[in-house]
Amino acid sequence: MDAVRALQIENLHKTYVDAYSGDEVVAIGDVSFDVAEGEFVSVLGPSGCGKTTVLNIVAGFVEQTSGSVTVAGKPVSGPGPDRGVVFQNHALFPWKTVQGNVTFGLRMRGVAKAEREATAAEYLRLVGLTGFEQRYPHELSGGMQQRLGVARVLANEPAVMLMDEPFASIDAQTRRRLQEDLTRIFQEQRPTVFFVTHDVDEAVFLSDRVVVLSGRPSSVHEIVTVDLPRPRDWRTTGELPQFRALRNRITDLLAGDESHAVADPA
Amino acid sequence: MTARRSTPTRAVAWFLAPFAALLVVWAAVVAATGVPLRIFPQVTDVVAALVSMTASGELFVHVAASLRRVLIGSVLAIVTALPFGVALGASPRLSAFFAPLLRFSVALAGIAWIPIATLWLGYGDGAVIFIVWNAMFFALTYNTLLGVRRIPLPLLRAARSMGTGRVRMFWEILLPGALPSVVTGLRVGLGYGWRGLVAAEIIATSAGLGYALFLAQKTFSTDVIIASMVIIGVLWLVMDRLLLAPLERRTVQRWGMTAARP
Amino acid sequence: MTGLARRLGRSGAVRTLGPFVPVVALWWLLAQLQVFPPAFFVGPDAVLAELGGLLERGILPGYLSDSLTRLWYGVLFGLGIGLPLGFLVGMSPVARRLTWPLLLFFQAVADIAWLPIVIVWFGFSLTAVTFVIVYTIVFPLVLSIVAGIEQVPPELVRAARSMGAGRIQVFTEVIVPGSLPSVASGVRTGLGYGWRALVAAEIIVGTSGIGFMMFDARRVGDVAEVFLGMIVLGILWYALDALLLAPFEHATVERWGLVRQSAAT
Ligand SMILES: Nc1ncnc2c1ncn2[C@@H]1O[C@H](COP(=O)(O)OP(=O)(O)OP(=O)(O)O)[C@@H](O)[C@H]1O
Ligand SMILES: [Mg+2]
Repeated sequence: MDAVRALQIENLHKTYVDAYSGDEVVAIGDVSFDVAEGEFVSVLGPSGCGKTTVLNIVAGFVEQTSGSVTVAGKPVSGPGPDRGVVFQNHALFPWKTVQGNVTFGLRMRGVAKAEREATAAEYLRLVGLTGFEQRYPHELSGGMQQRLGVARVLANEPAVMLMDEPFASIDAQTRRRLQEDLTRIFQEQRPTVFFVTHDVDEAVFLSDRVVVLSGRPSSVHEIVTVDLPRPRDWRTTGELPQFRALRNRITDLLAGDESHAVADPA
Repeated sequence: MTARRSTPTRAVAWFLAPFAALLVVWAAVVAATGVPLRIFPQVTDVVAALVSMTASGELFVHVAASLRRVLIGSVLAIVTALPFGVALGASPRLSAFFAPLLRFSVALAGIAWIPIATLWLGYGDGAVIFIVWNAMFFALTYNTLLGVRRIPLPLLRAARSMGTGRVRMFWEILLPGALPSVVTGLRVGLGYGWRGLVAAEIIATSAGLGYALFLAQKTFSTDVIIASMVIIGVLWLVMDRLLLAPLERRTVQRWGMTAARP
Repeated sequence: MTGLARRLGRSGAVRTLGPFVPVVALWWLLAQLQVFPPAFFVGPDAVLAELGGLLERGILPGYLSDSLTRLWYGVLFGLGIGLPLGFLVGMSPVARRLTWPLLLFFQAVADIAWLPIVIVWFGFSLTAVTFVIVYTIVFPLVLSIVAGIEQVPPELVRAARSMGAGRIQVFTEVIVPGSLPSVASGVRTGLGYGWRALVAAEIIVGTSGIGFMMFDARRVGDVAEVFLGMIVLGILWYALDALLLAPFEHATVERWGLVRQSAAT
């Protein structure tokens, strides 16, 4: 990768101190990897290995114990519009319409009304929500809500888009369609994406590279490059022997780690 | 079974029928037992009292005095309590510090302040308005604080990650996010305020519905007492239906956020 | 933070009472500096002295027990009438439909407005005060119970039915626990109103009790005694809240969990 590094994570370490018992929990052992501009990178790992924590540190919601995170060359401090977050449970503002949600970030940055509306219309079309502008989030289905969550972030044109299991609470059928929508959008817009998931198929289908973390205390176990051709869709990509090979390899990596973790009480 | 929305006249009929039945029972019981007017009035007595109070303009004076006090008191309470409550709720430290104080104050708010309010401000409008304000202020502040603390963390994070400034955070995130709880606070607070108003008017003024009650009690005019009570009940229902219910319908319900029940 | 400070910060008593320390200090300072005229505003020292005096003469304990007796009877009858009535009305759709408008209206006639007519009926007596407290407690309670029963998801009732529960079992196993949070908030609202009604009734009826004590003191301009009355009322409510209401609510409402993780901000 000699492209520009949109996101760089170096020797990230995080220890939580329990506010009541005073116990220390090592959430991230030592994690380093980076994401190039316009690249889609997924992070996979056993439950509780610190994926969400890494994402929260990049987003600026949580502070690391040590190590560094830089976005477009600048060290991260606190949340900011250069990193857009798509949350698992959407985190749409219930008191704002679809339009209000999509234009929120633009308004916060003082973008003029005409431009806001043009941008909103463009991204709503991209996620297939044209015609729903005046609805409130609770009037949308779960899949539509998450597409709105994606549009809201894309409209802000962040340097990096952070997604934490965005499709985990959505039914299998809809999830596949959203995954296809997401790779199409990625294809059209080429945002930089840092994607956390539990689903090996999803990670392989969407990503350029997959970072596999080990169990706690976590570190980068392996980074798997996914050189499947784009554009991708489930009918063709899912049938490719390459896809199956990658999926099996990553599944083995995760399984090996889990048995290892059981044997070694770290 | 909920009443069908398509037939509003039927809903109104269902709403009014129990009152009609109550009036019939009341008239029958009073007629059968023959209780004297100084103990309990006949329906017609109350209607006559209402008519004469209206004709003499007395009713208007009392209603206007009471409504004016409630209006001033509650506007003051809203203007002071909302910013204070949001500020407290937005900071975990401040809310940890103030929450016990507020709980203490909510328990005291309103009527218990009547002696000190009349001492500080004298008998009259000032003291009554103070009581209404005081009764609402603490309940509203406390509920606003709780409402802000209950805004889901991802919503706050989403707003922050899109670069929301302080002022915008207040108007666009914290206030609407806390609204279900704010509406509860308004309900509870207005309930306290309304009761505080009646009590304070009985004790401390020379106009208003509470004062009308107090005068009538001295002369054992049960017809005027019951008439004033009916007015008090109707006014409260009207305030609730005309102000709080539409506010709730247009915001909390429209947005699909369930209101925290009082 | 040192270990001791951390442990203290975690203790419930310190977290609850701690904030009162600076407030009392500020109060004392305001009184010392005479920011307000002493005829209107006295410091904690004067209130403590007043407390000593009233305790010595046995006035405060007497008034306190009068107030508590009234409250006790009011709450006892209020709950005794309100709880069964609420479930009766709530369980029958017809009863609900017929009584709901009346309940709303009687709730709207602020309880204190009943005081004059009640005085006409019962004179300046314990019965008059108790009547008003019972009234204040019953209506919010019934309204909350009915609302709570309506909120129990019908699927739960159906699930219980399909598993062979009879009518009574559906009531005890599904309806009652399902509506409990709402019942708890109804009890709290009712007691909150009942409490205020007690104070108002004591001021207006004016024979004894903490409310009477405060108003009597106000008449002779004894600010310290008024302050003392307010503090006693506040502490009483706090105790009632901590000993009765909070444990009940804790077992029902607060189990939903609204506590946010401290590290997650
Ligand atoms: N706020 C916190 N305070 C204390 N410990 C925490 C906190 N947040 C997370 N942890 C701990 O840190 C570890 C990593 O948590 P994290 O949520 O990052 O894992 P994850 O990989 O996202 O898990 P999952 O796959 O289940 O979402 C866990 O052991 C968790 O218990
Ligand atoms: Mg996670």
